[in-house]
Amino acid sequence: MKNKTQYAVCGDTVFAAEHESGLRVFVCPKKGYSSAYAIFGTAYGSVHNCFRMPGEEQPAEVPAGIAHFLEHKLFENEHEDAFARYARTGASANAYTSFDKTCYLFSCSQNFEASLEILLDFVQSPYFTAETVQKEQGIIGQEIRMCLDDPERRVVWNLLEALYHRNPVRTDIAGTVESIAKIDAGLLYRCYHAFYRPENMVLCVAGNVEAEAVFAMADRWIRFGRTDGKPESVFPEEPRQVVKSRVEQHFPVAVPLFQLGFKELAPSRASSRSMVETDILLELLASESSPLYRRLLDRGWINSSFGCEYFEGPGYAAVLFGGESREPDRAAEEIKAEIVRLRREGIDPETFECARRTVYGRAVSALGNAGAIANQMTEAAFSGRRFGEEIELALQVTREDVLRRLNEQLDERFSALSVVCR
Amino acid sequence: MEQITLCSGAQLLYLPDLRYKTARITVSFLTPLREETASANAMLPGILTRACADCPDFTSLNRRLAMLYGAWVGGRVRKIGETQALTFTLSLLDDRYAPDGEKLAEKGAALLRNMIFRPALENGVFRTEDLEQERRQLCEELDSEFNDKRIYAKKRAEELLCRGEAYACGRLGTKEQLTALTPQDVFAAWKNLLHTAQIRITAVGTEAVRVAAMGFAEELQAVGVREPAACRTELPRGGKTVCRSIERSELSQCKMVMGFCSTAAEPDETVPAMRLFCALFGGTPHSRLFLNVREKLSLCYYCSAHFVRAKGILLVESGVEEQNAARAEEEILRQLRALQNGDFTDEELENARRSVCDSFRTVSDSPAGLDEWLQQQCMLPKPELPEQTEQKIRSVTREQIVAAANALRPGAVFLLAGTDPNRKGGAEDEE
Repeated sequence: MKNKTQYAVCGDTVFAAEHESGLRVFVCPKKGYSSAYAIFGTAYGSVHNCFRMPGEEQPAEVPAGIAHFLEHKLFENEHEDAFARYARTGASANAYTSFDKTCYLFSCSQNFEASLEILLDFVQSPYFTAETVQKEQGIIGQEIRMCLDDPERRVVWNLLEALYHRNPVRTDIAGTVESIAKIDAGLLYRCYHAFYRPENMVLCVAGNVEAEAVFAMADRWIRFGRTDGKPESVFPEEPRQVVKSRVEQHFPVAVPLFQLGFKELAPSRASSRSMVETDILLELLASESSPLYRRLLDRGWINSSFGCEYFEGPGYAAVLFGGESREPDRAAEEIKAEIVRLRREGIDPETFECARRTVYGRAVSALGNAGAIANQMTEAAFSGRRFGEEIELALQVTREDVLRRLNEQLDERFSALSVVCR
Repeated sequence: MEQITLCSGAQLLYLPDLRYKTARITVSFLTPLREETASANAMLPGILTRACADCPDFTSLNRRLAMLYGAWVGGRVRKIGETQALTFTLSLLDDRYAPDGEKLAEKGAALLRNMIFRPALENGVFRTEDLEQERRQLCEELDSEFNDKRIYAKKRAEELLCRGEAYACGRLGTKEQLTALTPQDVFAAWKNLLHTAQIRITAVGTEAVRVAAMGFAEELQAVGVREPAACRTELPRGGKTVCRSIERSELSQCKMVMGFCSTAAEPDETVPAMRLFCALFGGTPHSRLFLNVREKLSLCYYCSAHFVRAKGILLVESGVEEQNAARAEEEILRQLRALQNGDFTDEELENARRSVCDSFRTVSDSPAGLDEWLQQQCMLPKPELPEQTEQKIRSVTREQIVAAANALRPGAVFLLAGTDPNRKGGAEDEE
């Protein structure tokens, strides 16, 4: 391992190093903990459907859903699947695919070394045959159908289709029954070798571990050699204009659901500072201590399921508000009106302080949980941010910073409303 | 772990912990789950956490919490066996991490005490406005249980399995009962709980958190004479015949939940064996149900078993195509019979045991996990730490597993299916 560095985050220390293959490794030891949580992840998610390999001129386009398909398939091996191996160590293992990454993970309180060996081994050992691919098409087809029955997912997917013209974020992470039908073993190998490259991956561990011990294990079990570089993802040009400003789907739900999205241009990933500014802005705009929340609640237009988030990744960024509502259109209008009012009247110092303290407290609290730390370290590494820096920033950001952010974001002209109702 | 009796039927369970960045205090009111009282009780966590006499405005109360670096108070209603649990959880940053050295635990606990013991009132009862808000939200919560098809199917299977028992009552009661409640009814329920509920307070954090939690003793003494009612759960009576029900909705995938009655619930000494059996049967990705029903036969997208140890019932949940439902059911029962006959390897058993033991040790690595654990434990006559329960799992024998498997009787099959009229329901064919 080389380029070893370390830094302090609120009483903890983060150790970072680089394997000779280019794989980055991050470790956050937690004294007194009895378990550890490890993630081996690649910056390969459902949006990376069009990419150019180093030295190639033309980008290649592949069917939607391959990143997720690979996640399912890597657990299988020629001899024994990964779950059967983990069964002997007692670790609790899982994996997930999101828009921008695929993560393989486990948590355990014993046999950490043996479990890490399994994790690093199976992710580096692809094995696909026509027969196993065909079987997986059936299983993933069922998963896609199960999601079609989930109104909470439907309302979000419909919103993304209304916000985005071409960006692949508008397609379900698992793909569609049609797109996964086009997947074969050859395509899986091709995408695996394009994105499962050490330069495109990280190993993040938090819990009852020693950094040097984890580095030594990575040295022992990383078989990847250095490659000619990362693939470059190509995203179709996407205007800020939305496709449709309102979309509705009828579904057997007892309480209607809504999602209101404000689209932004996303030429590069957001910095930690702008993430913190947005967090504070959303906190003072729509949290339980905001006047907006109170008005919506008093009028019976929302319930405690109401919330908002900054949805941000490679090539996409939007602020989303949503929850259950018997009056989704009126709730959406009220949110828009509050944004206009806030721009006109500004933010008073006490409101700002409340929101800032909440964002600070939340960021520090997350450091109590090894799983949260490992996931945040992975997210930070893939988005070019430094894990933990949001804590310091929450104490530095000013009211003026947040006002400026308010004027750049949340533009009604680039918004869309998605409703799922009977 | 320190267990302190605060007054009759009220105990504090404190676990010192300096590892976390946050502290937690949870106050639970435990009362028998009864149809006639469930709805009025269920209103309390929401109403009491909305405001208090000292801070009667919802927004200003939330701002006060926000100023304590995003402290959070959550009210919850749960059904644990045949007990209705009303819980109030305070989660906040540990004092060591307050940038200006503020005493967060002390201030947060004082606010929580105000919420529970000094509510905002008008004319001597709860305010109509608070009542109406909470009524609407609980009715919507009941409705939204229908939105999540997996939760809905599980709830219906439990109702089917435990028909005519207290357990069949929903944690929020019914919409009709919620609609009929007056401010007087809910105020009377609050008064009644203060005097008759079993009260359990769990606290995790530094000494400051212990001191803050001890402050609840004063409040309880001020309540006056308490006559706490015992909370007991009856074992399930079903399992003599299999009740079947099918419901149709516009779904593309069907949910099937099978319910089984057992002969033991907490704190029976055979519960650890049933927990380990459940892991072996369908609790892990290397369990019988996952490997056979899902992986080998591809009959279900998910298929897992869950033992409700407070009641003594076991549920097998699955996502299945309707035409495969009968085959899936047959296979699930076949796997159960195999385990009943002792047809499992030592390796399978040890794998399940390792997985269960590992999960216990992971519990204490997050304040929320540990608090949740303590809340479950404080309902038992002898609360245990995760490592003590782990020891019990370690000593379960193969014979005890076989006995646990044989104690299960199938009692209900609930199917939530799609509306395609051309398709004949697999489960209906089984009748």
